[in-house]
Amino acid sequence: MMGRVVATERKPNTPHEFHFWTALDSPVGIGTIVRVEGSTAVGGQVPRIYGVVVEGFSYTDLQSPLHDVMGHDGAPGNHAMSSTERAEIRLYTAHVLRQIPEEPLQPVPMGSVFLADDADVAVALRMDGYLREGESTGIPIGIYRAGGTEAAIHLDADFLLGPEAAHLNITGVSGLATKTSAVEWVMQSIFTHFPASKGSVAALCFNVKGPDLCFLDKPGILDHADRAIYEKCGVPAGPFENVQYYAPYKSDGFSLNTLRSNEALLDNVTPLTWGLREVLQYAEVLLNKDDVDAKADAMIDFIKENVLDRPFSDPMLERTHTVTSFADLEQWFRDVLRALEKKDDQSWRTHHVATIRKVRNRLSNISTRCKGLVADDGAVSDLPFGTFQDRTVYVVDIASVEEDAQDLIFARVVTRLREHLERRDLGVNHVVVFVDELNKYAPSDGADTYVRKMLLDLAERGRYLGLVLFSAQQFRSQVHRRVVGNSGTSLFGRMDADELATPGYAVLSPATRTKLSTLEKGQLMVRHPHFTQPIFVRFPRPAIMRGRDGAELYPQATDVTLEHAVTRSLRALDPSVTLAWVQDTIIMHEPEAVLKARNATVRARPDDVRAFFRSQFRPTVSGKAAQRPAAPAVLRTTPADDPYGF
Amino acid sequence: MSEQLDHSFRGAQRALAAALPPGAMLDRGGALELAALNPSEAPRLIAATLVEGGSMRRHQVGEPVAQFAAFLDGTQVSRVMTYRDAVPVVHGTVAAVVRERRDRRMGTWGRPIVRHRLYVPRALVPAAFWERLESTGLEISDTSDAADGSGTPHPFALRDAAIHRVQKDRERAEHELAEQWCGSESRPLFVDGGISGSAVAQSSCAVGVVKSHRTLYVEGADLVTVLALGEGERSSVLRITSPRRTTVASWYLRLRDASGRDPLWGLVRVEMKAEDDASAGEVGHRADEISRWILAETSPVSLPDARWDKMVYGIRDCEEFLKVIQ
Repeated sequence: MMGRVVATERKPNTPHEFHFWTALDSPVGIGTIVRVEGSTAVGGQVPRIYGVVVEGFSYTDLQSPLHDVMGHDGAPGNHAMSSTERAEIRLYTAHVLRQIPEEPLQPVPMGSVFLADDADVAVALRMDGYLREGESTGIPIGIYRAGGTEAAIHLDADFLLGPEAAHLNITGVSGLATKTSAVEWVMQSIFTHFPASKGSVAALCFNVKGPDLCFLDKPGILDHADRAIYEKCGVPAGPFENVQYYAPYKSDGFSLNTLRSNEALLDNVTPLTWGLREVLQYAEVLLNKDDVDAKADAMIDFIKENVLDRPFSDPMLERTHTVTSFADLEQWFRDVLRALEKKDDQSWRTHHVATIRKVRNRLSNISTRCKGLVADDGAVSDLPFGTFQDRTVYVVDIASVEEDAQDLIFARVVTRLREHLERRDLGVNHVVVFVDELNKYAPSDGADTYVRKMLLDLAERGRYLGLVLFSAQQFRSQVHRRVVGNSGTSLFGRMDADELATPGYAVLSPATRTKLSTLEKGQLMVRHPHFTQPIFVRFPRPAIMRGRDGAELYPQATDVTLEHAVTRSLRALDPSVTLAWVQDTIIMHEPEAVLKARNATVRARPDDVRAFFRSQFRPTVSGKAAQRPAAPAVLRTTPADDPYGF
Repeated sequence: MSEQLDHSFRGAQRALAAALPPGAMLDRGGALELAALNPSEAPRLIAATLVEGGSMRRHQVGEPVAQFAAFLDGTQVSRVMTYRDAVPVVHGTVAAVVRERRDRRMGTWGRPIVRHRLYVPRALVPAAFWERLESTGLEISDTSDAADGSGTPHPFALRDAAIHRVQKDRERAEHELAEQWCGSESRPLFVDGGISGSAVAQSSCAVGVVKSHRTLYVEGADLVTVLALGEGERSSVLRITSPRRTTVASWYLRLRDASGRDPLWGLVRVEMKAEDDASAGEVGHRADEISRWILAETSPVSLPDARWDKMVYGIRDCEEFLKVIQ
């Protein structure tokens, strides 16, 4: 026995809160789970109550601090002379996690208090309901540690990945390697423990900053304590086995815009390039409401329906256009505007010339802003929608991409995921989408952007589809409340005191808030639908290479020439490709043609890479050796005796 | 039946209410000791024999040294429950405890004593009433000796007699515990109050410390010397003898600086076993030693108790403990 329940008229126990005292050396602290054994049977059953400590008090029999001053003659050092320590109390307040029996719900009775053991923790957190042998849906989130107890804490997959509830949100200050690490750990745990009966699951991570997500397939350094947690939770202490990276090109069109650009790591890095069609579908992501009025919207629709990817002819135009790229679209606009000028007309096919100019201006601006992502040649290299693999992580690296392009990528990828999941043809049943910096993408205030609307939709309806949002931010209070409110599971790392002072944290006790503001690395507070109170857990370092270590071990490739870039791309398909061969092959061709050939080769992944790559160039006229002209006939020499030359 | 009976004040109230006619019980009654605190005993001076030196002197005892292993104190509470023919029926509770110091923290040694009784003069109440009281199963103490046979005495006199009987019971409980301690321990025990009424007065393991001074065992110039004691000073050792008590060695000790306060402030009288064959020097040496032990107990102070100038923290701890369990 560790303590005794106490209650006074001034501080009574209630059905949701009770108080108990312990010995001074008791291993109880904020977050400790305890069990209370009642003494009087109710309805034939002695009540058993589980609670978590949320507040602690300590005081002595002193009535006034002044008495202590007087007792020591005003000199703190005189304390050592006291032969007796004052009577002192450790009084704790606990919030009820569970009462057994659950009816009738009564105030917590006086009783003995015990430290919860493994089995108690499972009952207290209602984990016994979903950890049944053979039908467990538990996903380990970490371990609860107090006194001598060390128990694995499980989340319920049905409430983490749907359909009952879904989504996970994590908050914490930056720089403590908590948010990203926790998400990586949870994903490893999900991949290990997600029940086969629930189907397949993949993860899609948007890397929006730094190299943290760039080395998920490389092993990291773990210490003994970390390994012990992995073992306790039954999660293999290794990196992700299947990881695919996607990144757009830089504006040069041939260097990958990612921190994972080291040549040794390129085998699972795929360029992310979209054509005009992909971009126009999500034009509203990039065009604000001032840009796209009803007239401009109609014009864009006209282009999408009548011009894009099909021959378009008009008697007024000089030629038939087949628009597959921004370059083609620009040609088409020029032709239309030239024709209007020629006719001195103000409208064409009900579209006013000003609208046409405006749409041209805005769309061509997109290709500039998203250069590297949008291929002028219309080539598309996309995520494998339809063939997503079970237990695979897909990382889309948009850390170095311009903000507009980030929004575009984000919106399109998530929308495609939703479309495929609705049709049940994505390749997996569940996809976890990890988005960091939710403050930025779904702020509580500011303009109602397409991305925010999409995140709201994902948070509110995604669980029915198997589309699950794992999100992270530094300030939860600054994220749209419907996004965080729909997160069934919330994790909290070390928090900023200012953030904790916001109303959203008022439900936590002052001691819990204090603990949150001083949490060490590797500790989290967890809220989950099955847990009636927040629980503190420890989680291990992810068994993957830290971003900082990876960046040092695999430094980013320096900007390379076109020949080097093409060589790298082709060498990933055929290691025998050499720089000299590429130089010889492309020497006579324009860069655009070279990139087009490279893109086509990378997309096709042919058996004979060299032949396929070479075949992408337009044949050039074969050289012909110049022939020496026939030597002129030798003039007859003038006879010496013919002075006139005849 | 008596094993299950609740002998506490509330339990006794319930038992009596069931046994007596309706309306016989008093609604409420405060502790009689509060009223009895008004001292009825007149202050007095009694000369005692000096056993250390030829005259009363002040002695510096030296630096405090913590040596007491435990502290003993007892409490009592008495309340009138009902009157029968102007005769009070008093419920008394006595309790005593030894609180042992372990690693600078106080804990209970052995089993504390808590006793509840009714105090009634059998000779002054009808036999049927006495039988009713007995039928409750409560323990009853007959205080008939308080009556002088000249009719019903003043109710207050009967009440005071009951209080004194409770006091005797309390002292008996304290003595029991002190004797238990000295029977099994050789470490020094700090006893609140005198030890001359107990067998432990013949043991060197118990030291009594008296806080009240209705009786002062010095007269004349010696009294002036005692009242002039400075902080950390003791008087010369006296021998205090009483016909019904054990002779003890005793001296006065000033625990705290009384400058600007009444002359008895911070003054205690210490009692220890009287060593008949000890020399004056040996007695003085022992008094110095025990005085140093007592001075070590002046911290922490026992505030907010009003007697904090004379009460050591260990005794306050006993009182707080007894408040809870009695």
